[in-house]
Amino acid sequence: MKIKAKLTGDETEIKLLLESPMAGKEEAATKKIEESYITHITAKVGAAVVWEASTGPFLSKDPYFMFKFKGAKAGDKIVVETVDNKGKTEKAEEAIK
Amino acid sequence: MQRRKFLSLGAAAAAVVSVLPSSLTATDFRTTAPKAWEAPTSKEAIEALFGSSAATEGKIEIKAPKLAENGGAVPIGIKSSIPLTTIAIFQDANPRSAVAVFEMGDNGVMDMMTKIKMRKTAEVTIVGKGKDGKLYSAAQKVEVSIGGCGG
Repeated sequence: MKIKAKLTGDETEIKLLLESPMAGKEEAATKKIEESYITHITAKVGAAVVWEASTGPFLSKDPYFMFKFKGAKAGDKIVVETVDNKGKTEKAEEAIK
Repeated sequence: MQRRKFLSLGAAAAAVVSVLPSSLTATDFRTTAPKAWEAPTSKEAIEALFGSSAATEGKIEIKAPKLAENGGAVPIGIKSSIPLTTIAIFQDANPRSAVAVFEMGDNGVMDMMTKIKMRKTAEVTIVGKGKDGKLYSAAQKVEVSIGGCGG
């Protein structure tokens, strides 16, 4: 997982790149691989959830997201957690610059 | 038969309960609106997720290419002139319509972007729920030259 967190004025811009084949039923059958896709993503600053996504296999492989929010300051940490269709979780954090 | 039915119901209920701790927050739309993720068309998926497909156009802006060379990663940008709590992406290019449902925090800025798979030319629809509780939508047709859903 790669996170870029940049503060411009009062807006924080997050660029998030995850790693997953995002393979659903049909794609898994065609490619003869296991179904594997991220189902939920949460982004937090401190205790506040700033952005959340419930996701399915029709997002691109290694999904990319850009989103923005206000209220954070430089040095705050953004923490991103993901869970996939098998319940496997990942967590990463990045300081806002 | 009766007992078997009861047992299978119990197993289903247990499965639902065991999913909850692994979901990160209270609102995982895959758990709260499972039907929305199985619907083949955008209209059905929107109704399953939001309870209605009656939405106002013009407040949300979708930014997508008219022609996508690679259907494996079609960039979809979303902006809104009004504050939204929930934003969802639907398309009619894949076996099921729902792609992702986003929830904006209280300080969210209505400007985001992601990339989706489209295996053929189709319409992409964005539906957002405003802080006023009303639904807003925007749609755009994207032509796809090479499909991106496993060939």
